[in-house]
Amino acid sequence: MAYPKSGANSKSAATRPRTKRKGRSVFSRFAWLIWTLVTSGSVAGWMISDIPVVGPVVEDFVASGSVKDVESLTSVVSQSPALASLTSELLHRLADSAAPSKAGAAAAPTSGARLQKPPDTIRIGSYNIQVFGTGKLGKPAVVDVLVQLVRHCDIVAIQEIRSKDDTVLPQFVAAVNADGSRYDFAIGPRLGRTVSTEQYAFVYDTDRIELDRSSVGTIVDTNDLLHREPFVARFRARVGQVGTPFSFWLINIHTDPDEVASEIDVLADVFQVMQTARPDEDDVILLGDLNASDQQLGRLGQVPGITCVVTGITTNTRRTKMYDNLLFQRFATTEFTGRWGVVDVQAVFGLTLEQALEVSDHLPIWAEFRAYESPPVSNTARRPDRSWQ
Amino acid sequence: MSDVTVLAQQLREGQVAQRQRAAEQLAQSGEDASVAAVELVQAAGDEEQVREWAVAALEQLGPPPTAAIRQLCGLTAHENELVGYWAVTLLGRLGPAAVTAVSALTDTLQHSPHQAVRQRAAWALGQVGDGSAPVIAALTRAAGAEDPRLARLATQALAQLQ
Repeated sequence: MAYPKSGANSKSAATRPRTKRKGRSVFSRFAWLIWTLVTSGSVAGWMISDIPVVGPVVEDFVASGSVKDVESLTSVVSQSPALASLTSELLHRLADSAAPSKAGAAAAPTSGARLQKPPDTIRIGSYNIQVFGTGKLGKPAVVDVLVQLVRHCDIVAIQEIRSKDDTVLPQFVAAVNADGSRYDFAIGPRLGRTVSTEQYAFVYDTDRIELDRSSVGTIVDTNDLLHREPFVARFRARVGQVGTPFSFWLINIHTDPDEVASEIDVLADVFQVMQTARPDEDDVILLGDLNASDQQLGRLGQVPGITCVVTGITTNTRRTKMYDNLLFQRFATTEFTGRWGVVDVQAVFGLTLEQALEVSDHLPIWAEFRAYESPPVSNTARRPDRSWQ
Repeated sequence: MSDVTVLAQQLREGQVAQRQRAAEQLAQSGEDASVAAVELVQAAGDEEQVREWAVAALEQLGPPPTAAIRQLCGLTAHENELVGYWAVTLLGRLGPAAVTAVSALTDTLQHSPHQAVRQRAAWALGQVGDGSAPVIAALTRAAGAEDPRLARLATQALAQLQ
């Protein structure tokens, strides 16, 4: 079993909730679920930098950070009739659309200027960008919506990158960074049982988030229980002003819609395995397109203390189904502030349903966490984390 | 003709760009795209830009119309792995309504050269739920396969038939 180098511990075993001590036996029971480092060149986003944005129209469009130039807008619209009504004003109406009661509004992005993000919290998102490939990149107005959605999160777990072209994500991240942002990415291998494959990715703001590069990996599933094995990585906030920066595992998943129940059950094992992956990490957040509602979580929903962030609201663009979610153990990940949302892309950008569907058939979801470690329910002292140094 | 019917026709007869656009629009149609199930399965064997949208549409269209069973049965043995895979998958989604597809599914389980298609055939037979002797025999053999996923799915299907 190839675990990443653990480095110095930041959270002693004593800080971890008692239930997590069961993890070792769980790990033994599910020894088929191990994870390994993924080392191919296509995986490390930092290895492919400075990829140009697609075409001059897009470059101008994105570089401006807005649609000030009528001619550029016309060019964009002519390439994407379904988004013809997209205007500069609408592009900048991105605010957090509401999950009832808990979600709050965020500042709308400003034209040509980077977003001002809160210093003491981070926002983690998940987004199934349906068939994210060269075709979608070739639609500048769609790219601009996606760019603005990503900029509102500090990390986004992306599902459904489908392309033989390895430059899709580098090009997209370059577009995100066109306003001076410094996002980077980690992308997983192509996964699937046929020639039709998908990739997962994490896109994150390096000004606010650190990736533990030795942690990036794909769950190894020797018995082929999962169609698209989860992509995992460990991150740490770098914006906290108080205390130890919040660090956490992310497990990125897109289940097979025909085997949801069995795969969700297996994800319970994945979750518990990742809890034991490092003795110094008690925060595990599973996020992605589960193809299941908060009421259909099987054994995953029975993991002690497991909490669904998204409840009582649909997450597909048609607003008929709940597919996407973020889950963690509430007594461990006490950094969750209680704020979360499902971005209603259609409403926020003033799109028709057809236009919104051109962006994706899913909506992005997000949750907010404190940027520094909060004590777990079993409150004990923590040791400083030196593994990032 | 309905919009979906028009898109299905474009998927059958259009040029590559038109087929891609049709597949994309069907992928944005959710379960309404089921009317075009057969065309989408066939498009799974098309060029990449068409195929990926066709697969996206197939993933979410739910069960196909029962009127498509005969054509889907004919596609289960298609030489293109993805076409066979999706034909079998859609038949499985129909559950007991696809009982007339049992023979094709059983044949696929035993003879498809594609591992992923055989696996899905085992799953589909469990969904259809026909416990006739040839089905039981084929699933029992598959349950002893070296491929752990095929063996597991066949075992699960046998349990569903009991």
